[in-house]
Amino acid sequence: MRQGTVVLHVFLAVSMLYLLTFIGLPVVYNLVMSVQDVDLGNIVDLIRPFNGLDNYREAFADPSFRQVLVNSAIFVGANVIAQVGCGLVVALFFGQRFPGAHFMRGLVLAGWILPALVVGALWKWIFATEYGVANYFLSWLGHGRVHWLSDPAVALSSVTIANIWFGTPFAMILIAAGLTSIPEEQYEAASLDGAGPIARFVYVTLPGLWPTLVAVACLVTIYTMRAFDLIFAMTQGGPLDASNVLPLLSYQLSFQRFHFGVGAAVGSFSFIIVLAVAALYVWTLRREEQQ
Amino acid sequence: MTRRIRHLLGTRGTRALLCAVGVAGVVCYLFPVYWMLISGLKTSAEIFASPPSLVPTHPTLAAFEQVFERENVARYMRNSLLIAIPVTLLTLLLGSSGSYALSRLRSRVVDVALVLALILQIFPDALLATPMFIMFRHFDLLNTFASVVLATSAKSLAFALVILRPMYRQVPIEIEEASRVDGCNTLQTFWRIVLPIMRVPLIVVGVLSFVQAYGQFVYPLTLLSRQDLQPATVGIYSFIGAEYADWDRVMAFASIFALPILVIFLSLQRKIVAGLTTGALK
Repeated sequence: MRQGTVVLHVFLAVSMLYLLTFIGLPVVYNLVMSVQDVDLGNIVDLIRPFNGLDNYREAFADPSFRQVLVNSAIFVGANVIAQVGCGLVVALFFGQRFPGAHFMRGLVLAGWILPALVVGALWKWIFATEYGVANYFLSWLGHGRVHWLSDPAVALSSVTIANIWFGTPFAMILIAAGLTSIPEEQYEAASLDGAGPIARFVYVTLPGLWPTLVAVACLVTIYTMRAFDLIFAMTQGGPLDASNVLPLLSYQLSFQRFHFGVGAAVGSFSFIIVLAVAALYVWTLRREEQQ
Repeated sequence: MTRRIRHLLGTRGTRALLCAVGVAGVVCYLFPVYWMLISGLKTSAEIFASPPSLVPTHPTLAAFEQVFERENVARYMRNSLLIAIPVTLLTLLLGSSGSYALSRLRSRVVDVALVLALILQIFPDALLATPMFIMFRHFDLLNTFASVVLATSAKSLAFALVILRPMYRQVPIEIEEASRVDGCNTLQTFWRIVLPIMRVPLIVVGVLSFVQAYGQFVYPLTLLSRQDLQPATVGIYSFIGAEYADWDRVMAFASIFALPILVIFLSLQRKIVAGLTTGALK
């Protein structure tokens, strides 16, 4: 038995060391860079001048940072509401008994399984002003052309629509799993008490599903906060930062403008938001396990 | 409402109606995927026709041939595979052993490790790109597949650890005890008894790691500056970077790239769905 535990501890240690080296270390390194004066000259040095919170101050003072912060909030908020809402409706629909329900429910994951960059390229083509199919459908409805990706007032909505399309199947499949875990007897008991479909939804489905919905909302937030490929492919955050979000801004600051310190500050700021959501997620799961 | 419809149509009628609504919904949802596949089959004249044709009038493989000849699609695809396959193997190797330990050990260390794996998988790649770049410069690994493989595996490993642990829990401990009685040590029990039982979950995790690594974009973009090493994601990106794009060829390229993923997904659909739903919320 002793020998067995040693093997298991070695197994665990290898995985954990790997994660700490290739994720933990970069996260810490990013935090360190965010309080240093980093430029192209000293980017590979280990010791660099410490400049306190200057990078954060510079980031917060930048009007484009404020716009990107608002964009991120809208982008993430709209995605969470739409993905959880649509996911719930679709999961409830496919939860009914009819031929092909399970197969069709699985089939929509074909959208989610595609590489994000391909999804971005595809939606860039759908949203093309002149020959795109989105404007063609709008013309059916008697609507004029929309500059989906080049109009600053529309670009954020366009990338949001694409990301909702991309993410909803995953939210739906998780919600569907939560639905099956609600015991059938609860529905039967509610029916015996004379509850109609709406009452059953409000008094049985929603309370039973609530922890799942919170967990899914947290996961969608985490996944949406990392949306990079899709927006990078569609608009590069443009025009004029209209569709830019935090991770993209951080990357652009570092690799296009070479303001590595400020880029790291924006990145670390995003870490804090993601960590807070993750804490809520872990807390929800723990509470569910205890019940 | 369902009851009223059921009253009017009967159970069979209701089911047929629901099925029809379901089919219509799935068709609408998957329209963009259809659009990608058929845009590649159009001629360059048809792609810029107004109004666009919803079914290609003269389907042709010309765009597919052109991207193979002029855009080095074969090389891009090879590079994508040379990144995705090692990532899958590395993830399975470390993930299967690490999560086995997580499921069998009971101590404070395990709790900490589990939370760590959960936390570490949330950090967006784009935010780790700069430190990764500096790190791999120090190791002199820039412009090697190794750098992209090592960076990408970290995220899929964190995911694998979290998703596999509850599945190991379902392997009955009695089987392992019986194997020990027969004289197998822990390593042999793990290799000969436990892993074969875990075949299906491991396939699911393998497929998902493969898909994720195959679609990886940020790390190759950052860590590989040599064009001949770049995978298809970066290839497609540089193809659409220009304001004006030949969409028939872009979509042909995207279709070639996405097709293996769609085929793998369709053939393993049920297992993937089952794996996702048991793992992701635990």
